[in-house]
Amino acid sequence: MTNDTVPGASSGGLSRRTMIVGAAAVLGGGWLMTGLTGCAPVGALAAAPGATQLSFWHLLTGGDGIKMAGLVAASNAANPSFFAKQTILTWGTPYYTKLAMASAGGRAPDVAIMHASRLPGYAPGGLLDEWDIGRLAQHGVTEANFPPAIWNSGFSEGRLYSIALDAHPFILMYNTAIARDAGVLGADGQLQQIDTPQQFLEVARKMQAVTGRRGLSYGYLGDGAQMWRLFYTFYRQLGASMTLEPGMPAQVDEDAATTALEFIQELLDGTIATAAGDYATAVAEFVNGESGMFFTGVWELPTMQAAGLSFDAIAIPTLFGTPATYADSHAFVLPRQANLDSVAREDVYAFVAGILKDSFAWAEAGHIPAYLPVVNSPAYAELLPQAHYADAVENLNYDPQAWFTGSGSDFQTFFAESLQSVLLDKTDARAGFQAFVRRLNVLLSKPNPVG
Amino acid sequence: MTAIQGRRKPITIGNVVAFAILGVLAIGWLLPFAWAFVTSLKTETDAGSTPVSWLPKDGFSFDAYARVLGDGNMLTWTFNSLLTSVTITALTVGLSALAAYAFSRLDFSGRKWLFAIIIGSIIIPPQVLIIPLFYQMLAMDLVDTYWGIILPQVIAPAMVFILKKFFDQIPIELEEAARMDGASRLRVFMTIVLPLSRPILAAVSIFVFIGAWNNFLWPFIITNDTALMTLPVGLQTVQSAFGVQYAQDMAMALLAALPLIVVFLIFQRQIIRGIATTGLGGQ
Amino acid sequence: MTTTVRNAELRAQAVSAAPSAVGPVTRKRKPGENLTGWAFIGPFMVFFILFLAVPILWGLYLSFTGQTLTGRGGGLVGIANYQEALVDPDMWRSMGNTLWFVLLSTVPLVVIALAMAVLVNMGLPGQWLWRLSYFMPFLLASSVVSLFWIWLFNPQLGLINAITGFFGAEPIAWLQDPKYAMLGIVIATVWWTVGFNFLLYLAALQNIPEQQYEAAALDGAGKWRQLISITIPNLAPTTVLILVLQVLASLKVFDQIYQMTAGGPGGTTRSTVQYIFEVGFTGYRFGYSSAISYIFFALIVIISIGQFAVTSRKGVKK
Repeated sequence: MTNDTVPGASSGGLSRRTMIVGAAAVLGGGWLMTGLTGCAPVGALAAAPGATQLSFWHLLTGGDGIKMAGLVAASNAANPSFFAKQTILTWGTPYYTKLAMASAGGRAPDVAIMHASRLPGYAPGGLLDEWDIGRLAQHGVTEANFPPAIWNSGFSEGRLYSIALDAHPFILMYNTAIARDAGVLGADGQLQQIDTPQQFLEVARKMQAVTGRRGLSYGYLGDGAQMWRLFYTFYRQLGASMTLEPGMPAQVDEDAATTALEFIQELLDGTIATAAGDYATAVAEFVNGESGMFFTGVWELPTMQAAGLSFDAIAIPTLFGTPATYADSHAFVLPRQANLDSVAREDVYAFVAGILKDSFAWAEAGHIPAYLPVVNSPAYAELLPQAHYADAVENLNYDPQAWFTGSGSDFQTFFAESLQSVLLDKTDARAGFQAFVRRLNVLLSKPNPVG
Repeated sequence: MTAIQGRRKPITIGNVVAFAILGVLAIGWLLPFAWAFVTSLKTETDAGSTPVSWLPKDGFSFDAYARVLGDGNMLTWTFNSLLTSVTITALTVGLSALAAYAFSRLDFSGRKWLFAIIIGSIIIPPQVLIIPLFYQMLAMDLVDTYWGIILPQVIAPAMVFILKKFFDQIPIELEEAARMDGASRLRVFMTIVLPLSRPILAAVSIFVFIGAWNNFLWPFIITNDTALMTLPVGLQTVQSAFGVQYAQDMAMALLAALPLIVVFLIFQRQIIRGIATTGLGGQ
Repeated sequence: MTTTVRNAELRAQAVSAAPSAVGPVTRKRKPGENLTGWAFIGPFMVFFILFLAVPILWGLYLSFTGQTLTGRGGGLVGIANYQEALVDPDMWRSMGNTLWFVLLSTVPLVVIALAMAVLVNMGLPGQWLWRLSYFMPFLLASSVVSLFWIWLFNPQLGLINAITGFFGAEPIAWLQDPKYAMLGIVIATVWWTVGFNFLLYLAALQNIPEQQYEAAALDGAGKWRQLISITIPNLAPTTVLILVLQVLASLKVFDQIYQMTAGGPGGTTRSTVQYIFEVGFTGYRFGYSSAISYIFFALIVIISIGQFAVTSRKGVKK
């Protein structure tokens, strides 16, 4: 020890009394006991007196986030009995990790949004509560209000765990001015019918000739979700399926996968589409008119509209015989509550039903509303370009079901790790896919932690 | 301390070079603060525009601060951080001081063994306990509670060690005199030992407080309810509906940094001495 | 980086040469003292058992089960988890990343801290400013540090690329490019924590007796000569201490990596603690995660013992 801490060398100042009194107050303090076990002490919120506080978690930011904030505010205004407070967490793994931990802890939010594709990783493990179909009907929400594929995406082991707000498929956007100059528009002013890979390549080359830069934009670098979305669209169009049964090797169609991947390689030739593009670059390229077409999700619609681009959008053309498109749904779930507040639960039903009925505003963000009365309304038919790709709903393909698949999951990360070099460096497509399947088989051989 | 300070230094080439290096390093070390501060005074569009510029193109704006403070989350998280850090500090120092005194002065059965176990446990990294601790908190129904944040943080075997070493040096005669007069052990501890230990208690308290205030991993694991989050956890976890907003991010970061910088400016001497003495104790 | 409390604990660990040397009580046990002793130690022991002893033992038990977050699979599975871990490429990769981080960060954290301390100790004007600016980042929470540096490293809008661009360098995607991500983390970490080592060095410098320098000056040794032959050797124990602390603290890195890159891109910055976190909380596998925790714990114990052996030998030589 150095000299200046020798005991007795100090005197006066901050007294021991302050210290001891402080410690005693904390150690035995009654006020703290009550303060610490209770809930949030500070939380200035504009709730009406007597309104039930609903906590609502989601992962939507940007255009989606602003629309959702508007929907929540409208719902609060229309329902004086509750006040929903939204909490937004980081998209992807951080969100799903926290949601699972909150559900396991038993003090979860009253209602949350999940991707329907993530259901198999949550519902069977008891992390979610079931929706009561009868109670939904009382609020005017029934099976008949949804396209079957979307309604069914909410089921796990025969029980309804999620109510879809939308379907958000992967689509094809195109620049109408460039398409016109390239002469690839049909008589109806929309992109001409495309039925084969060759036709698609031709159209893309014609557009490339017009822009002088690229024909097609597609960003995938370091982004497993993007790679998977396009791959799975073509894979399903080839009539192939993927079944992931724990304890068994993955059942896949290697030939179809190879065909799909080799076609994507053909697109990423550095002329039709850039060989090494990431998501942001692809968006910028299309916005700046440097390409004629853009493989993207419906959620980029507001970006294009804000940029003042003249563009249209369609479901991804059926190039391989079977109509199919990758999609997922934002869906409402009930995270497990250890001590269920029945008043809050009732309010959640009203909240969700209200937002579904209000989901025309959600369509403005690009998503296809799941609630049919909205989609079948005359107003929606006139909402362009949304109405031009609404038929994608007939051929939605969610991720193969397994506890580890879905949007923002490890599954997509593994896909990227195994296949990025196939797309970027044009390595052997079959070998890349085989590496991915080996990875899946390791996961499938492990015990299912939720099953 | 040292005789060097305060002495006028002659202007030599060596000193000028040294001064220049110190200056460059200081600029480098302060730059992130300055850049964050400038960004926080820009509008969001300005912050997100190129080319990068030091001066706000749209003029200075306090909009980011107004929005961050108006949101209410920052105040909630600051309150949570204060409540949990103060409680953790009081419990840690209180428990450790009592234990350290027992090891220093009292003879009780199992003393040697217990001390060896406690000192040995210093080696346990708290990071390897996250899974069983979370599981335990589930069982105790403490996930998403203040106690869940606090309780696992109050065990600091190193503090017992540091305090015991200090108590060992207090002349025992002082206590024995009081004992002769019939004072109880607790009384001796409270009226003689603690007052003499003021500097070390202050140093230990400040360090425990800073550690608790800045702790990320455990509060991050144990809180999911945003109304219970501490500042570091809330900052990292909760997003804005608008997506990434650089000016507001920097305003939040600076506001979150402020309390400890104030603490440091007030307790600068104790902190530096604390590092010097407990950091190099025994050398 | 870990908290200051941990640093303090590590410091104690580093300086406690003989853990079982209990101190000056040598008298015969007096009646009643046993009870008093237990009354003093009792509260601490309750917490110690509940929140340290129980979890460490429970974790050991969990590592032999298939326990999950959802409460399923609680049965014993023998050493299956350990067998799986030993051939798990992701675990080894995370260990590799962690060691890489330790190597990359330790050298600048020692060298820059030493340079700062020696220069400040020259007694030039601006003492408070140097101390404040070098040490202030250490007071920040990891979240603040991460927000700062994510913004500074922004490929298009960040200050760093603006500065390097001024000198003609191409913009770098610091945190998104696998080649640079770990370097970006290390730069942020050095900025954040070098101040602590700086203060340790500064304190040690001020304890070097002035007479040694005066004697050397009489012998005609210049400033540089004095630095090499007096300052550096006198700082050897501090350097050893800092190395010990630094390695142990850096091995447990999680906060800034998780917040700045989330372990990406493509797992190139994922640390072992993050892998433990992800296996447990994202993958739900508490049992397996506990097994990895124990393997990691064993590694830390081995490294600590190794360091201990080296430092105590140093102590003997001195």
